[in-house]
Formats: sequence, structure tokens, C-alpha cells
Amino acid sequence: MVEVTSQVWDYRLPWNPGTVSSGRGAGFIVAGKKVITNAHVVSGARNITVQREADPRRYSAQVKYVAHDCDLAMLEVADPAFFKGTTHLDLGGIPELESVVSVYGFPIGGDRLSVTRGVVSRIDYNAYTHSGRESHLAIQIDAAINPGNSGGPVMQEDKVVGVAFQGFRGDVAQNVGYMIPTPVIRRFLKDVEDGKYDHYVDIAIRWMPLENPAMRQYLNRPNDGRGVVVTDIFSEGSSDGHLQKGDVLLSIDGHAIESDGSVRLDGKPVQLEEIVERKFSGEEVRLEVWREGRKESVRVPLKPADMFSMYENLYEPAPRYVLYGGLVFQPLTANLMAVLLGGADLRLKQKYTMFATDQMYRETPEPVILSAVLPDPSNVYLRGLAGQIVREINGKKIRTLADVETALASNGERTVIRFEGDSRPAVLKRNEVDLSTPRIMAQYGISEVSRTAVGDRRLAKGSASGEKSP
Amino acid sequence: MKWLWLLGVLALAPTGWSAEQDEPQGSVVRVRASIQPYDQFRPWQKKAPYGLNGTGVVLPGGRVLVTAALVANRTEVGLEKPGSAEKCAAEVEAIDYEANLALLRPERPEFLKGFRGLDLGPALRAGDMAEVWQLERNGELLRNQAEILTVGVGRYPNDEAGFLQYGVRVSLPKRDDSYTLPLIRQNELVGMVMMYDRDSQEGTAIPGPMIERFLEDAADGRYEGFPTLGVSWTPLRDPNLREEVKAPKSGGILVTRVNPRGTAGKAGLTEGDVILGVDGMKLDEDGNYRDSLYGLTAIGNLVRVRPKVGAKAKFSISRGGKEMELVGTYDRRARDEVAIPTLAFDAQPRYLVAGGLVFQELTGTYLQEWGDKWSERAPQRLVEYFVFQQEKRPDPDKKVVFLSQVLPASINLGYQQYSGLVLEKVNGKEIRDLAELASVLDQSPDGALVFEFRDDPGKLVVNAADVRAKQEEIQKAYGLPELRKL
Repeated sequence: MVEVTSQVWDYRLPWNPGTVSSGRGAGFIVAGKKVITNAHVVSGARNITVQREADPRRYSAQVKYVAHDCDLAMLEVADPAFFKGTTHLDLGGIPELESVVSVYGFPIGGDRLSVTRGVVSRIDYNAYTHSGRESHLAIQIDAAINPGNSGGPVMQEDKVVGVAFQGFRGDVAQNVGYMIPTPVIRRFLKDVEDGKYDHYVDIAIRWMPLENPAMRQYLNRPNDGRGVVVTDIFSEGSSDGHLQKGDVLLSIDGHAIESDGSVRLDGKPVQLEEIVERKFSGEEVRLEVWREGRKESVRVPLKPADMFSMYENLYEPAPRYVLYGGLVFQPLTANLMAVLLGGADLRLKQKYTMFATDQMYRETPEPVILSAVLPDPSNVYLRGLAGQIVREINGKKIRTLADVETALASNGERTVIRFEGDSRPAVLKRNEVDLSTPRIMAQYGISEVSRTAVGDRRLAKGSASGEKSP
Repeated sequence: MKWLWLLGVLALAPTGWSAEQDEPQGSVVRVRASIQPYDQFRPWQKKAPYGLNGTGVVLPGGRVLVTAALVANRTEVGLEKPGSAEKCAAEVEAIDYEANLALLRPERPEFLKGFRGLDLGPALRAGDMAEVWQLERNGELLRNQAEILTVGVGRYPNDEAGFLQYGVRVSLPKRDDSYTLPLIRQNELVGMVMMYDRDSQEGTAIPGPMIERFLEDAADGRYEGFPTLGVSWTPLRDPNLREEVKAPKSGGILVTRVNPRGTAGKAGLTEGDVILGVDGMKLDEDGNYRDSLYGLTAIGNLVRVRPKVGAKAKFSISRGGKEMELVGTYDRRARDEVAIPTLAFDAQPRYLVAGGLVFQELTGTYLQEWGDKWSERAPQRLVEYFVFQQEKRPDPDKKVVFLSQVLPASINLGYQQYSGLVLEKVNGKEIRDLAELASVLDQSPDGALVFEFRDDPGKLVVNAADVRAKQEEIQKAYGLPELRKL
């Protein structure tokens, strides 16, 4: 059993340390005296204890690695007594459809170990809700997965065939649970061998099936049922500079690509992305490509798709912000959208949903939002501006939160903040801000005027020239 | 003086109404409308029909006034005498969806013989009392006491910019399925109730002066509509902002966007100007002027209801600290000349089917078909173009032609999952509207027909010869009355 006290940042009040809550999940011991559980069990953890079934003692544990993109984490337990008399579990393969598996965990309804049996009902790509942006291979079973099951092993013939991680919310389906299959677990274990976890890599293209005969004829492809067309390439992504729109992908690493985008892997049909999924940053895929009437061989070096990072839920890093005269600036993130939503206007919603599609990250890798105006006598006329997207400050185009700090530091009597769309600008007087800032910080209990360090968070680079106007 | 002039015009209208009857029942008729809107998702057909009833008010000159909402998307409109089975079909003589007013003319002028047409009464002020007239099923007239709570510019059902309206408190029994009811004071028409909330017992009425302007405009048989300024603006209360834009000590609003085709744009106003006054009326920092009838009133009434299309517009502005006068002409171009019209009532949506691919021209009405949460549910590119069209699609001649759906057929195999895609080119030729798409398709030689879209997947290809060969088959299979409506 893994018991966790965690703290969740409040993006409404980004300077606050956040609310403390506790919960529990399950975990299992793998080779090397390490405990595997779900990332969502330990995210934001401030204190973790682990306990073995039939041993009353609680042992303190630390997060060694956490992979939010695939909802896995590895824990370390310092006290060797915890591992005394235990044996580690080995990983198995992908269980067959209709075969029976056993789910171990500590779900609601009691404190002792619970075992449920279920049947493997589907093996397919599924959204990993913890991250909010990722889809990976997942296995659906007909045993319900409840809070407390998370992180527990799913066993078949003494081997781990998955990690229980999410159920099905709502009333639409019942008795549906999902587990993380061993290819994903193995990838995680391999990734951290070098002492750090990198992100999943992404080929960062869009493609469409090549089923239409007229389309095939247009692209000079015979009706052989093979190949898909590349319809979009995300700039700054893995394929940028290697693939082109209109390329027909015929094979990937020697696996023939069918016209619906599937390849055969170990005799089973999977989406072509599965070949990419199993690789690591810095590795490459070899593609056979039909381009302008002839076959070419293309190597695509793989890296994470940082341009989608706006859409991932953030757990550990403290929210970044800049405070100025009661105006709170924050970068646009999934977390911020979650607290603004409902109140967010259409322009902001559209910015968020179309950010990757329209490759806005090339111009503004990190859109900055005036997320709140903390009421103070000095800003009574500015309160209606909360939720606007910052375009420029004192004539400087704002591409990242760091730009806000720089632009605000410029020496002028007045600070003029302009927003996207036809909103009015915000005009502040420097001497008034100098007076109001300490007052506002005291009033609202804010100890730091800004928190801007990016840390190890990966952001889009913004490949377009910074001088270009929007 | 305008008021008297209007009555003069109407009194001259040659019809056979008489004033012999003094009973107020003789001034209202029941109006029954059969409504059948087009199905925006299946533009070749209409939706299920339904009926709406309202109380129409008889005007001098043998016309009946109702709200536009009562007769929008009508298949037919009938008038019915209270307490009798006598009916008469009516035609819509003038209709304004923005102002929510419609003028009906009975097909048989003698139908209204014996009715007493109501004159327009004076404008009301907050606190005034009036009556809301409503017909019982048996033809009896209910005269519900109403109090005018507010007079101010507010949103109309089909007009975001806002017109003057009366907030009314009145207790109305539910009698009809709509709230088109005349507001009467001393046997004169002073307004028309258009919305009512049964829980709060408060409603909204179109004020008499709006009706007056509507009737004036309709009198010459050529309805032009209310003018529009074509600007976005923001209040100028913030002293820091005033200093930044060098506004004078007090008064004025800040222009944040100008439609170059609109009244203000043609007069030379630009973004960043401070409008200090219009037509000699001073504006305060919130955009209000002092109206002789209503007191402090929003600019909307000053520039949309007082002047007529074609009247001279005079702007007092401050630009970069320098005050100046700009002169223009009131018009509606900022409203009418747009790439994506907001309102598409009564008319069949334009569409074109080629190889099972259905193309439509975007309208606000199409987007509304997605329901209350249309801005979240409709394809986001279409929402973007509609809501931000001044930024994204400013050219009024470049309509938004989009692939609305694919009717599955062998010819479009592999394309059936696509919808909501904005069409940009066909065989390299830019498409500006549906008619142009039709002519490009008609003239394209056999061979590849390449549709290029704004968004993923970018291109869809069909064979022009196949499209022509399969048209009839697809039309039959889906029972389409026509393959195009341009």
C-alpha cells in the first residue's frame, strides 16, 4: 500500500503553496528493490509511506523517477527491512484477448489487500487522463478499477502484465478498467536507466488514410492497399525538415504501412505510431517514402513534441507568474485553463484549442494571459481586463513569460499593456505601481513578486523570427 | 415634428378602414403563423413545421404590426378576427429582424373594415403605467396593467449591438405560444412586448419610437433598415488611459476598431480616436448622451435609431490630442456587406453537392444550429471566422465556403470522416463563393479535381468525370430534390 500526502498548486492563486490532501494507491516491487506505482498516486507528494500486506510497519519512501506522460513512477525505500522476505515481480507480455487476469490493490471498501479477476476485453490506444494530452497503448479489462487500485499489479501466471491505472468515469460504461501494458512499463524502466526520465517521442505529423482511388491516382500510387499521405508536419517537431506534405509513407523500420495506417507488429495490427512509441529521444525511424513520383528513404531522428506541452497537466513545478500593480500574468497552461474555463472568453478558448493546429507556438511559444487583477484602489479601471491575452508591453512583443519581466523593467513613466483583439490597453503609472505593489503583496499574502524560472519544463522553441508582427 | 409627419403619411394611405367602432377589441387581431425553418445541416430540406400565435395590432392604413420573431421562417401567416372564425391570409410587407418588427398586409383589405387602427402614442419613461393587450381564446380582450421599469439600450434577440427597449413588469397569463403583444396607453400604441419571463414576471418591449422609425422607413415601400456605425469602442473613465490617448479633460469614448466600410470608417474615423460627440450630442465617458426624452441614454440609440440611412453623420473627435470634426453619411454597410451574414431567416441556405461532398456558405444561422453551446460544439475554424471576421475575413466578397458533410458513396471513400473544412481552392483556383465553386466545377475537364482546404487534411481529390457520372446516383440515393442551390 502506498500512502501519500500531496499538495496541489492553485493556479488561481499561483503564489500560494497549494492545498494539502492525502490518498492511497498500490504498488509492486520490481527487480533492483524498487517500487512501481502510478504517477498520479505520487504526484505533488510531500510525504510518502509504503506498507506491505501483513506487516504493520510503515516505511518512508521517495520518488526516484516520475513519468507523467505514461502515468508511471518509481519509488525508493531507504530502509532495507522493507524488502526483507520479499521477492520482486517479473514483467510478462501482452495478455491474450479473453484471458483472465487478477488485479491487486487497496481500493475503497476496506484496508486489506483486495484481489479482483477480470477478462482482457480490448487492446488499443487510449487517452492517459493523468497527463491530459497523451495516448498510449492500454488494455481494457472488465474488472472495475477504483481509487486505491491505482498502481497495483495486474497478474497473469505469476507475471505482471499491467499496472491498473484508470477506470471509466461516468455512467456510460460499467465494469470497465484500464491497465498500462508491459511495453509501456518496459519503456519507462529502460528510459530511466540513464538516471533521468525523458519524455515520449513523437513523429509530429498528421496523416490521412490513402483509401480513395482518385487520390491514389493523383499521387501516382497503384491500388495496392499500401501507404498513408502526410497532410501536416508540425514545425519544430521530429519530422520538420525530413518529411514533406504530400509524402506517401510506405513503410516504417521495414514494417509495411497499410492504407489505413496500421502495421504488423509481432503478428498483430497496430497503428504505425506504435513503432515510434517504443523508441527513445535521439533514436530514429527509417521511412520509405513516395515523394514526387519516386521512392526515397528518409531517416527521422525522434524527439519529444514540445509544441504540445501546453496541453499537459502540470503537477510538480510551481506555477509561474509575474505580479505588477495587482495584475497577475501567467503563461497559458492546461492548469490555468482548468481554473479559468467557464469564465474564459472565446478568444482565449480559441487560442488554447488552436494553438498547436495553427502552429502559433512558432510566434508565441508561451502565450501570456492577464490571469487576474487583484483589486486595489490603483487598478479599479483595469478589472474587466482579466482573461485577456497579452500582445505587447511597452512596445515589446510578448512571446514568453520571461518577455513580460523584461518589458516591465523598461524605464518609462507609463507602462502600456496591449492585448490581442480589440480590447482597450491597460495603462499604469510607474510611480503608482511602485507604491501599490508592496501594499498588494501584503494585502494578498504574496511573498514574491514573480516566479519565472522554467526549470526542466520543455517548451516550444518559437522558430519564427521574434521581430515579426502577429 | 417627425411624429406628426409620420401620421400624415399613414393617414393618406388609401384603404377602406373606418373609425366608426369605438370598442378596443376592434384594434387587435390574432395572428397565426406557420413556421418551417430550413434545416441548416440538410440544406435541401425544411424542418418539421410548427405554429406560433400572437396578438397583432391594427394600424391606421389597414396594416397589422407584429414582432419579426413571430413570422420569421414562415410558410404562411393568417389574421383572425377575435371571437369569430373569420380569417384572412396576410403578406409581410416589411420585416426587420434586428429591430424585431414586421408589418403585415391582409390579402383582402376589407378584412380589417370596422377595425379601429391605433395611433402611436408618446414615448414612455420609467415609472409610467400602460397596458399589455392579450386576446383570450374566446376573443375577449385581456388588458393587463404594466409598469415601465427601465428605459435603456439593450440586446434584441437578433441584434447584439442593441436598441432602445422598455423593461416592463406585468403579470401575463399564458395564452399563446409567443409573447408578441401590444403595449397600449390611452388607446394608443406605445410599444410591442417581444420577450417575457414568467418567473420574474418581467418582459421586454420594443418602444414606440422604434416602431415609429420602422413604419417611417416602410412607408415608401422600400425598407432600408437601421444604420450602424461600424466601430468597436471602450469607455474612457480610466484617467491613465485618457492621458495615454491624449483625451480632453472629460467625456468621450475610445475607438478600438473601425470597419472601413461602415458609417464611421467612411467618415474617416480610425482606431485610437476619441469620439467626443455625435450629431451635436456630447458623449460622456461611458458612451451616453443626454436624450431629450429618456435622459442619459447609450450611444446606440443616438446613432442607430435617431438618424435614417442616408442622413448626414457628424462626429466630434479628438485624435492625438487635437480636436476635429468629421462628416459622413449614415449607412448599414458594416452590417450588410460582410463575408458571413449573421441572419439567414426565410431564405434557403445555399449549398452544392459534388461527388457526395456537400459545400455550404457559412452564416451565423448555420452555427446556431449547433445549439446553445455552438461556440464550443461547432467546428472551431468556422466559429473563429464568424466571431472574429473583422480580423480574419474582412473582405465581404470572399464568403466562407466549407465542406459541411460527406454523403457516403464509393467516389468519396476515405473522405467520409471529414466535415467543417473551409475550402480555399479548387484545382489551384481560389474560391470566393459557392457560385464560383459551381462554375469552376462545371468548367473543369475530366481528370483530377483537387479541393484544397484551410485545415487538415489539406487536399481531397476526386475525379471530375466520376463526379459527373455519379451525380444522379447520389441524388437519387439520398433523395435530394436538387444538387445545388446557389
